[in-house]
Amino acid sequence: MSMRMNRRNLVKGTAAAAGATALASSAFHVPNIIARQSKAPVLLWTASTADSLEAQQRIVDEFNAQSEDVEVTLEQIPPGEVTDSAKLITAVRGGTGPDVYFLDRFIVAERAANGLLQDLTQLLEDNGADPSLSDHIGFAAAEATYDGKPYALPFDTDVRALYYNRTLLTEAGVDLEQFDAANGPMTWDALKEAAFAANVDNESGDNFAQMGYVPYYNQAWHYTYGFSWGADFFDEEACEVTPNTPEMIAAMQWVYDFCAELDPAKVQAFIQAAMRPGAPPQESPWVQNRLATMITGDWQIASNRNYAPDMDYGITYIPVPEEGMDSQSWAGGWSMVIPQGAKEPEAAIKFMLFACGEPGQRIYTEDTAHIPTLLALQEDTSLFDERHMFFVQELLPGTNNRPPLPVGAKYWDELTAAFQRIYLNEEEPEAALTTAKDNTMTLLGPFCPIG
Amino acid sequence: MVAVIPGGVLVATQTTSQPATLAQKRRFSMSRTERKNLLMAMIFISPWIIGFLAFLAYPIWYTLDLSFTNYGGFGEPVRIGLDNYRRMWDDNLFWTSLWNTFYYTALAVPIGAVVAMVLALAMNQPLPEIPIYRAILFLPSVLPLFAISFIFLTLLDPNQGIVNEFLRKFGLNPPNWFGDPAYAKIGIVMIAQFGAGQVALIFLAGLKGIPQHLYEAAMLDGAGVWSRFRNVTLPLMTPVILYDIILGVSQGLQVFTQSYIITQGGPANATNFFVFYLYSNAFRYGGQMGYASALAVILFIITFIIAGLVFITSNKWVHYDLS
Repeated sequence: MSMRMNRRNLVKGTAAAAGATALASSAFHVPNIIARQSKAPVLLWTASTADSLEAQQRIVDEFNAQSEDVEVTLEQIPPGEVTDSAKLITAVRGGTGPDVYFLDRFIVAERAANGLLQDLTQLLEDNGADPSLSDHIGFAAAEATYDGKPYALPFDTDVRALYYNRTLLTEAGVDLEQFDAANGPMTWDALKEAAFAANVDNESGDNFAQMGYVPYYNQAWHYTYGFSWGADFFDEEACEVTPNTPEMIAAMQWVYDFCAELDPAKVQAFIQAAMRPGAPPQESPWVQNRLATMITGDWQIASNRNYAPDMDYGITYIPVPEEGMDSQSWAGGWSMVIPQGAKEPEAAIKFMLFACGEPGQRIYTEDTAHIPTLLALQEDTSLFDERHMFFVQELLPGTNNRPPLPVGAKYWDELTAAFQRIYLNEEEPEAALTTAKDNTMTLLGPFCPIG
Repeated sequence: MVAVIPGGVLVATQTTSQPATLAQKRRFSMSRTERKNLLMAMIFISPWIIGFLAFLAYPIWYTLDLSFTNYGGFGEPVRIGLDNYRRMWDDNLFWTSLWNTFYYTALAVPIGAVVAMVLALAMNQPLPEIPIYRAILFLPSVLPLFAISFIFLTLLDPNQGIVNEFLRKFGLNPPNWFGDPAYAKIGIVMIAQFGAGQVALIFLAGLKGIPQHLYEAAMLDGAGVWSRFRNVTLPLMTPVILYDIILGVSQGLQVFTQSYIITQGGPANATNFFVFYLYSNAFRYGGQMGYASALAVILFIITFIIAGLVFITSNKWVHYDLS
C-alpha cells in the first residue's frame, strides 16, 4: 500500500519530528538546565570597553567555572560620563537593576548618601570578610566607605604619570635626559618648552598635525594640576569645597597660558575627537604617534602593548611647578557595589569577594596593567614589569586621592566646566574656579558636617 | 412641570420642589442603546485613556508633588515647600541653561520653518519624478536623532569634516563647531534641520490645499513668482506655520539628545540646555530629584506662556479663510 503525502500527513509528520527532536534535545540538556537552575543568577553591569571589558569577562568566566552555587552574567551598558548613573537609577527604580555594578569609587559616597547602594556590612560579615576593608590600600577603603559603613568593594587603583614618546621628541630635537625618571621630575615650564618644539602644523597650517602636549587630554585633569601645585580641594573643618585657593589658581593659570600661547581653538580642534566618551583607543593621537607626551595612568602600559606595540616610549614623574618640589600624583579606581533592589545580594557578594579579592584583582592586573588595591597583591612583584613597578613602588605610596564627598559628582562636573572655560580661554582662572565653588556649595550645605 | 425642547434637553417650565435635580436627572438619562454605545466608545478609547492617565497625568502630578520636596529618588521625600523654586534664583547654571535654550529655540524654530518651507516648495514641483525627489528630501527625517548626532560629529569635525573642508575651498577659516562655545549651539541648530522633512510634509499638505485659481488670478494680474509666494502662498500657509511654530517652540525648549551625545553640555556649558541640566540634577548629582522636578515644572510653565503668546499674537498674522 502506498503512502500518499497529503497536507494532513505532512503536518502530522512535521509535528512528530519536532516533538521527537525536542524530547531528545531536552533529555540531553536536562542535567545542564538543572545545574544552571540550581545556581543563583547574578547580573553584573559594566560600562568598560576594550581590554578592560575582556579582563572583566575573564574574571567572570573563572568565577563561574569554580562556583557551585552562583552564575554571573556580564552585561555591557553604553559608556558615558563617569558621573552619569541614569541607567542604573532608572533600572533600580523600575525593579530591573543589576545585582552588581561597577562604580567609579569617588562617587560611591554620593550614591550611598542618595540611598542607591546597599550597606555591605552584614553581607561581608556573613561571608567572613572584614567590613573595615583593612586588606585594601587605605584611600581605596576610605572611598568605598560612607558614614562609617562599607558600600563598595575596591576593585583596582591606578596612578598617573607622564608618558613620553622618545621618537617624536628626538625628532623635535628635545633633550631626553630631562625626561629620565632617574633625574627626578622636570618642571612644567620645561615640559612646555619641549612640547612646543614637538608641535607640527598640518599642510594648510590652520591646525596641528602633531602636538607635544595637550594640557587637558587624558588624565591631565584639574585635580592633576591642583595636586601638583599643592592645592587642597576640601576644607573638612569649614565643610566647604576649596577649588579657588591660590595654589589652584596658579595651576590653572599655567594651563590658561599654555593654551593662550598656542591658540585655544587650534589645540581644541586637534584633540576634540579623541576626547569623546567611549572613543576607541585607536583614535588616540598618542597611539597614532601624533602626540609626544601625555599624562595618563598605569593602564596605558597594557593599552600600548595592544595598540602601539612598536612605540619607543618612557614614563616619568608628573612635572613640578618649581625645581626641588616633590612630584604629586593621584589615584582613582573602580569598585563594585550592590544597588538597592538587587535580587541576589547574597550570591552577588560571593562574586564580589572573588572579583575584588586576590583571584579577580590578579587577573585584572595581569591583563590591564592596573594596580590591585589589595595590599597583599601590591607586594607580589611577579605581577608587575619594570614600567609597572615604577607606579607601584615610586608613585603609589605618596599618592593623593579625590575627597570622597556626597557631592563628588557635582564637584567633578563643576571643576570640569571651570577647567573647560580656562583652557578655552573663555574665563580667567580665579573667576571660573569661584563659580565652581559657589555652584558646588549650593548642594554641599545639607550634608555638613562631613567626617 | 417640565417640557422638552428641540434637541431632547429637558427644561423646567415652572417652579417645582426640586426642579434642577430633576432636570439634571433627565438630562443625563440615556437609553439602553446610548449606554451601550457609550460603553463601547469607552472600551475603544480606553488604551488612550489608560495611557494618558498612567504616562502623562500621573507623572505630571507626581513631578509637581516632588518639586516641593528634597528627594534623591530613593527613600521618603522630605517636604521643603518652595525652597527648590527659591534656589533657582541664585543658581548660575539655571540661568545659563535657560539662556542656552532660548538662544537655540530662537534660532532653530524660524530657521526650521524656512528650511521646511523650501523643502515643501521643492516637493510641490509638477515634475514626473517628484515622488523620488520627495523620498530623497524626506529621507534624513526618518533617522533617529542620536544617529544624526553621530553623523554630524563626523561632518563637522574640525580636521577631517567635509563641511570645514568645503569652507576651506573658499578660503574661509572654518570654526571648530562643537569645540568652540561661540559655535556649539549653532552646530546643534544645524543638526535640527535634518528633521525638517517632517514639517515639510505638513507644509506640503498645506500647499496642496491652496486653490489653483488664486494663482491663476494672480498671474493674470501680472504677479511674478515672488509676488505669488508673498501674497498668495504665505498668507494661506499661516495656519500651518502657526502649528509648526507652537510645536517647534515646545520641541526646541526640550532640546537634549544632541547635547547629551555630542558635547555633554560643553564646551564650558555652552550647550548645557535646560533639559540637560534637569537631567544632570536628576541622574548625575545625588539627591536632586526634587530640584529636577521643580525645573521641569518651570519648563512647563515657560512653554505654556510662550505657546500662549504665540497663539494670542496669531490673530494678527494668521489667515484662516480665503475671503
